[in-house]
Amino acid sequence: MDNEMTLSFVALSENESLARIAVTSFVAQLDPTIDELSEFKTIVSEAVSNAIIHGYDEDGKGIVTVHAVREGDVVSVAVKDQGKGIPDIKKAMEPLFTTKADMERSGMGFTIMESFADHLQVESEPGVGTVVTFSKKFHSMKMTQIS
Amino acid sequence: MNFEINMERDIAIIRLYGELDHHETEKIRTHISQTILKGNLHTIIWNLERLNFMDSSGIGLILGRMRELSAVNGQTIILNPSNTMKKIFQFSGLSKYVMEGKEEEAILYARGIVNG
Repeated sequence: MDNEMTLSFVALSENESLARIAVTSFVAQLDPTIDELSEFKTIVSEAVSNAIIHGYDEDGKGIVTVHAVREGDVVSVAVKDQGKGIPDIKKAMEPLFTTKADMERSGMGFTIMESFADHLQVESEPGVGTVVTFSKKFHSMKMTQIS
Repeated sequence: MNFEINMERDIAIIRLYGELDHHETEKIRTHISQTILKGNLHTIIWNLERLNFMDSSGIGLILGRMRELSAVNGQTIILNPSNTMKKIFQFSGLSKYVMEGKEEEAILYARGIVNG
């Protein structure tokens, strides 16, 4: 392992940008391309928003933890909450499925996460919480220039 | 996050700046929605050229306004999104509304459709 970080914050929506800023700094060492970085930030934003909105109903009390590990040019991230959990993960991951249509949630979060991550795993148990784990390989700009 | 709304008769040009996420969407949605409903509106042009980041909240925001416009058979143009945003629009079935170019061109395009 080359680097590791853990960030915890309460379930307030203003912390979505905090999580993005932290992970952006964490991967800066890898000289990501603009597209790689924005895809990576999008995955984190979706997972963290889900934890805050769906896990905790934005209660400002529940704790969301973002744990990131870098090994070479691969970064793995786990976004964890101890909120209400997902009763049917398969259903939750269907495109356009949302339990919060009234809030104009598009139901595209998991589709976006799956598309932008190299690997994505969702574990959840009602009443216990949810962990979204994903990894993404970065193709450094320096390496691109050499090859 | 900042935004500007410019009204060109029945066209609203909404310029978004900074990062659009769930938190920011909740803050600006009502304001944008009210401006739209007050005007005699037919088209929304979302200018995303200066938007640095958008997640699926942006899809919710745009789809919500499309729903409001559908009452008047209105149309939507999504102008100059980043590569990552383009992919998000593609996953969400909104690619056909994406356009690249200047605002003036988008306005002419919108009028072309409106005037038949």
